[in-house]
Order: sequence, then C-alpha cells, then structure tokens
Amino acid sequence: MPDALLEKLRASVGPPNVLTGIELSPYVVEGRTPEAAVFPGSVEEVAAVIGLAAEAARPVTPWGGGTAASVGMPAARAGLVLGLRRLGRLLEHEPGDLTATIEAGMTVEAFQTALRSRSQWMSLDPADADRATVGGVLATNASGPRRHLYGTARDLLIGVTVVTADGAVVRGGGKVVKNVAGYDLPKLFVGSYGTLGVIVEATVKLRPLPDHERLVCIRFDRLKDAGAAVRSVMASDLIPNAIELLDATVSTTLSATGAALVVGFDGLREQVDWQCSELARLAGACGGQAAHSLQADTWPRLAIAARAAFSVTAAVMTMAILPSQVAEMMERGADVARARGLNTAWAAHAGIGVVRAAIAADVAPREPAAIAAVLAEWREMAHAGGGHATLEWAPLAVKSQVPVWDDPGAAGRIMERIKAQLDPRNIMNPGRFVAGI
Amino acid sequence: MRMLTTSGKGEIRRVLEAIVGPGAVLSDPDELMVYESDGLTLFRALADFVVFPTSAEHVSAIVKLANRENLPFVARGAGTGLSGGCLPTEGGIVISLMRMNRVLEVDYDNQIAVVEPGLVNLHLSLKVGPRGYYYAPDPSSQQACTIGGNIANNSGGPHTLKYGVTTNHVLGLEVVMPDGDIVWLGGKTREACGYDLAGVFVGSEGTFGIATKVVVRILKKPQAVKTVLAVFDEIDRASAAVSAIIGRGLVPAAIEMIDRLTIQAVEDAFNCGYPRDADAVLLIELDGLAVGMEVQAERIVEACRDAGAREIRTAKNEAERQLLWKGRKSAFGAYGRVSPAYMVMDGVIPRTKLPYVLRRVNEIVAAAGLRVGNVFHAGDGNLHPNLLYDPRKPGDEARVVAAGAEIMKVCAEVGGSISGEHGIGLEKSDFMPFIFSAADLALMHRLKNAFNPTGLCNPGKIFPTKKSCVEVGPVAYRPHAIEEKGLAQRF
Repeated sequence: MPDALLEKLRASVGPPNVLTGIELSPYVVEGRTPEAAVFPGSVEEVAAVIGLAAEAARPVTPWGGGTAASVGMPAARAGLVLGLRRLGRLLEHEPGDLTATIEAGMTVEAFQTALRSRSQWMSLDPADADRATVGGVLATNASGPRRHLYGTARDLLIGVTVVTADGAVVRGGGKVVKNVAGYDLPKLFVGSYGTLGVIVEATVKLRPLPDHERLVCIRFDRLKDAGAAVRSVMASDLIPNAIELLDATVSTTLSATGAALVVGFDGLREQVDWQCSELARLAGACGGQAAHSLQADTWPRLAIAARAAFSVTAAVMTMAILPSQVAEMMERGADVARARGLNTAWAAHAGIGVVRAAIAADVAPREPAAIAAVLAEWREMAHAGGGHATLEWAPLAVKSQVPVWDDPGAAGRIMERIKAQLDPRNIMNPGRFVAGI
Repeated sequence: MRMLTTSGKGEIRRVLEAIVGPGAVLSDPDELMVYESDGLTLFRALADFVVFPTSAEHVSAIVKLANRENLPFVARGAGTGLSGGCLPTEGGIVISLMRMNRVLEVDYDNQIAVVEPGLVNLHLSLKVGPRGYYYAPDPSSQQACTIGGNIANNSGGPHTLKYGVTTNHVLGLEVVMPDGDIVWLGGKTREACGYDLAGVFVGSEGTFGIATKVVVRILKKPQAVKTVLAVFDEIDRASAAVSAIIGRGLVPAAIEMIDRLTIQAVEDAFNCGYPRDADAVLLIELDGLAVGMEVQAERIVEACRDAGAREIRTAKNEAERQLLWKGRKSAFGAYGRVSPAYMVMDGVIPRTKLPYVLRRVNEIVAAAGLRVGNVFHAGDGNLHPNLLYDPRKPGDEARVVAAGAEIMKVCAEVGGSISGEHGIGLEKSDFMPFIFSAADLALMHRLKNAFNPTGLCNPGKIFPTKKSCVEVGPVAYRPHAIEEKGLAQRF
C-alpha cells in the first residue's frame, strides 16, 4: 500500500485507528492479510475512508465482529479491512414506538441488554451474539431458532444507512414500522455481504419481552417419526417460536439421546403450560418420548448446534428446502456421508426448512475430494427438491472444489447489474459473493 | 417513446391480437376510458391499448413487442390503487392481469400457495379457509384488489400490526422482466440465493417488471379472536391509549381508530352501533390461543381505561364482531353520505406522535376550509386522513391537493413516511424529497436502472419530476392532463 494512502487514512480517522503489519493478524482470512485495517469513528469518517479506497481502487472488506469473516470466497485482491467497532452506540429507543436505531458496530448482545432493561427485544437470535455486530448480522442475514415465529433480518429492518462504494451516505426505509415510500433498500442490503456498501446504522422493529419462555425436548427413536411430529405441530393450533430437529449426534451435545425434537414457546405462563402439554400429546402420538424442559442457556447453543457437534469440523453446509423434506434430507444426507466414511451432525429449523450439516474432521485427515463429493451430493439433493445450498464454512482446499454459493440462475444477471450500478469499480468485497460478485 | 399514427396503431393491435387472441385487446377510446384511472380518480391518463394476457408467455411477448416499438407499458390489476400507480402516464400498453387469476397450487404441509397475479386477495383466503388457513395481508379493498397489485404496492391492512405486510408473506415470484425475459426471484424455500430480489421487487410499484406467478405463505387461522371497541370523549385520549397498549407489552392483531366525523357517517349509512357522540373509538382485535385470551383482553381494557376510555364493549359473538368491523371496513363508502367526494391520504408517523399529528391535520384542513374524516391503522401509526370536498366547487380540488401536501410534510417532520401502504405512484412522486435526499434517490434510480434500464416499464412514477429541486436522471417533467386543464398542480 502506498505510504501516501496510509497517511491520508491516518489523517481521516486518527493514527491509532489504522493498523498495519503484525497488528493485522486478527484480520487474516484464510491466509490472506489485508493491507491495513481502518476503524472510523463516525459515519463521515466511514465515507472518507471509502472515498479514499475508491480513489486508490483498493478493495474494502467491512468488518463487524469477524464472526462470519470466512463465509464466502476470500477477497481476490488484498485491500482494506473497514472495522465498525467504534460505531457501537444505541442512538434511539422509544419503547412506545417499538423501534430502535443503532450504529452498526454494536454487538447483538449489547443491544439486547439495553433493550431488555426496558422489557423489549429485537426478535433475532443469531449465533455468537457476544461478538456478532448488528451490522454484520444484517449483512450476512444471520438468524437463529426463533426465526420460526419471528422471521429474519428482512422482517425486522425498517431503515438502514449505508455508505456506498462512491463514499455517499445513503438512507433507505425510515424509522416507522410501516413504510412503502421508495424502493425497499433495507431488503437489498440484508444478506448482501458488504458487496453493495457498508451498513453504518440500522433501525429495527422490536417486540415486547414475553412473560415466559420454555424450551421442550422430546426424544424419538427415528428421525422420520420426529419429522411426522413436526408436521403434526405445524398443522395444530400451537404457536411455537422455534421447532428444531436434531440428529442423535447433535442431541448428545444437549445431553439428550436419539433424534430430538426441540420446540420453544413464549407468552403468558398459562399459554406456555397449555402448549407444552399439547405438544407432548401430539409428539407422543408420533412416537415421541420423555418430554422435558431444557435450560434457557440451551437457546444460544441451538444456533450453533451442527457446527459445534465436533471438536474439529471439516465443513458446514446450509440447505434451504421444503419443510416437509427435512427429516428425509437429514437421514439420506447422513447416509451419503457415511458411505464415504465421514461422520456428520445435523440440525434443522424444521418448521421453515433450513437444515445445517457439519462434517467431522476428527476421524482421520480427509482428502478434500471426499468431503467435496459429499457436499456436492447434498447440494444435488437440495436442488432435486426445489431448494438450494450454501457452503457456509470449509477450508479453501474444499471451497476450490465445491462452489460456496449456488448458481442463482437467470436472476444472477440482475444481481450482476445491481452490483455494476452500485459499485461500478468493484471495490466492495469483490469476488466474495454469489455469481462472482 | 413515440406518438402512434392510426396505421401504426392498427398494425400493433394486429400483433397484440396474434399474441393474446381476438377479444383480448382494447384500443377503442370509449373502451379505454374504463382504464384511465385507478381508485384515485383525481388523475387520468389514456392508454393506446389494454391487453388481457392469460400466461407468462403472453406477458413476455407483449413486453418484447413494447420494447421493439419503444412503447411504454404498465401492469394493472383491479385498479383499486390509490396513488395513480398503474396509470399509463405516457400512453402505450396497459397489461391487465385480470384473466390470470388462478390458484395454481396449495401445499398445506408446507403452508404455501402458488397463485397468479390477477387473483383477488380475498379469494385466496376463501380457497384455503375450509382447511383452516388464510392469507394474512388484508387491505381494506381485499374483496376486489389483486395479489399482483398488493405486490406492487407492498399492501398492508388492519392486521399487519401483528402479521406484517405483503413482503413478509411473499417467498418468490416469477417475473417478466422489463426486457421480456422470464425470471424467478426467490422461490418456495427460505434463504434467498444471492441478493433478496423478491424482497426488492415487492413494493417496486410495477417499475421492476410484471409478476406472473407468486409464492405466498398461508397461515393457520388463529384458535381464538377477541374484538373490543373502546370509546373516547377526546381523540387525544384514544391516541394515548394506543401507546399505552404497546407500552404494556401487548401487540394486538389490529388497533384501528375511527374519529367522530367518520363514526357519524358510518352510523348514518350502516348503523353499526358505534356511539354517535364519541370523539373517537378504537377497534382492537386480539387473536391467538384461546388460553390466556381473557387475561390479555383484561390488560387491553385496563390500558384503555387508564388512558380515559369512557366505555369498552366486547363483541360477544362472531355476528357482533362482524358488525364492529363493518363500521371500519365500510367507512370509505359511508363518506358518500356526508360529501360528494373525498381524497384518501396515506402517511405514517411514530405511534407516540399520534396526538400531535392528528391536531396538526385538523388545523391544516380547517385552514383550507375543508373537512376531514380519520379512519386508520393507529397501531402502526399509519394515518388515513380523508379530505372531503366538492369537485363542482371551484378551487376545492386544488385546496385538497395543497392540504394533502401539508399533511405529508408534517408526517415527514416527525420522522415518519409519506406512504404506509398506498404507494408513491403518480400522486406523491414530488413529495419524495420530503423524506429522501438526492443521494438516496440517486441510489434508488441506479437500482431501477438495473431492472428497468429503458424506463419503458411504468414510466413517470415514484421519482420526483424535474420541476422539483431534486434531479435524478432521465425522468422528464411533463404536465399531466389534469394539470393542463388547470385542475391540479404538482409541487
């Protein structure tokens, strides 16, 4: 990196907020070291940094808590890490409006703690909440088990401030819960992986904290029967906030045995009580046994259930399929891996059809080719049912054989045109995302 | 875009008929008149053709023809829109989707339905109702409006307070792009692959292409419903009750407010049993589990009493519930009793600003020498001031339009929005700078360029015209027919 650019960056954000050399080690992704890491302290400083990067044609990687830094393909060219950690304030919270505005670098946990003191919460429970930032969660569309009832970032984000690739500060949406003025820019930026701009502020819808919440675990001898119980619950009057289906490998990590159906309920105590007994009845009719409550600290472990099942993981894939296909996907997917001598762990948001599978790396060092072959088969299975698959995590040796992202088909052309319109010089996270974007 | 000669028009009509068959193309000015307005009758524009395709392939062929002939085109559903969004402002082809109205698939196991865009909103709920399901977004026009129109405007309705608006219920769409290509955005499964194009498409007011198939979520009907009418002697207290309910950690399915003028109109017309001497009523609906319903209803009643409600009525059965809702849902029709015409406004404010904004609305309307009736989604802060006027009275229309703009400015000043569910369309394009900067609009324009680079797909909508202070690319200002007649002015 030219010294002149470094000097300008230091002048923009203050010398202590520009890291170089050995200080960059926390920002090395898959063996690639950025040229510098810059930590602006205001929206204006973010704009100045991106302006400088654009001028020098340097790629920019937005960085929140770094919890998803290795998702996607690594940057094709080294460039700047743009860290949001100094933008961590809660800007506005009006409980009567059920909305709050925060800076993007605030961690999810810090935000939830502030909201909890006023009996509200953001109904999103992604993994690693202590480190993951709100901006990062939005950019990667991260979520957790309660998405079953409360949806994902797209359902909560009502306004967003973004610094685009030309250094402009742009606002989309607003601060009110219902708003159709102009295009829905919040939807554009949710899950865009920093390829269209850096999210610097967000306004989200909130919910009141429920009076009570409970997580119930039911054991099944066969995944198939647990799948039938999921359908039975879905067709009932119950209003669960989470429906998780876990295979035996994952359920063991939650001190359970066999396939497990884990269902969450919230609301008034009498509502939770009634639903728990109704759940036991419905599940019992499908072969479920030993319904019991789990500790509240199980919730965050559910969000990482598959990837945390093994001490060393070789790959994690996420499949989005029809809910009715989940149990079968889990069974067949595990069989396919077993046939190649690989152990797997499976956990699904069963009610909405999002399945996560991890491949163990602890049996013996594996040839990337075997792992890649299994991943490719899983992806094929997802496609066959009309769904798709994302390679959420894998070493580069595997990523080079199995595409991280699915082919978006004809829609990919529109995505490329959007990218070309918003980032014509291709400096925002180039090459990391779908369709080479 | 071009002017058509008579012979050119005849040739295009023949090509259109070759695509959709005879009996599915209109080009006679008398027939076209039916399509010159939507629900906002203040604006009118005549198309050169109205075409009735029955398949995505038809729509694609029509769009490709329009591109070849450099003719603008716009999709139209039932025409119940309230912002002039489906008007052919620059002539060209209106593509009516009313013959594409089938439910193609219902998958109860996965709680999704695949429908065509011309399907009437309520017909979907009627179709899946016998199995215990419904489609949640319920705009007040749901007996007539179409799913495709709902997608264009990201329509809401009374129950969106709890269940969200159209975009929260659409998983995927088959779209005929502005160049005629047929593309799927999203699908039946969650987790968009790449950018959330389905999310971006919903609410794009017909400027990103034409949806020809839609995958929507269907929901289980709630086990129990409870409907409460809270009566207030002062509208400020009703406003305060809305925040009090939310502040107590309750999110009802709906909180609707109906003001004095509207109550009287509704009672004159339909006799729904609203108290005529009340200043405002709140219609509050809870739904969900039967267990706990009473406890929640008590909390609501308490919040309303603490805020100063003089009386609270609870619907004892479904018939009483329907009667309470009838007053709300037929309010627009009832204005006919008290005024020859009215204009529906649509703005959003933070709920906590309700008392202040309602006072300002009344002041603005009074200063303009007009009357206003308010019936709206108070729980969402989504205002609908209905400005009553007499189109035969010189200057009344202009005063309505001017007062409407003032009201939108107030919404913007308190941190709100200029549309909650009706869209920007033609009506509010010049109000966009009230809430968006030049940079915001420029980004939206670039997004539009990615979908609709020629601008032929529904031109003249959403973006401010050049007459206003913001310049956003190739949108040219041209006076609307109504402006030329001196009936209205943009600002």
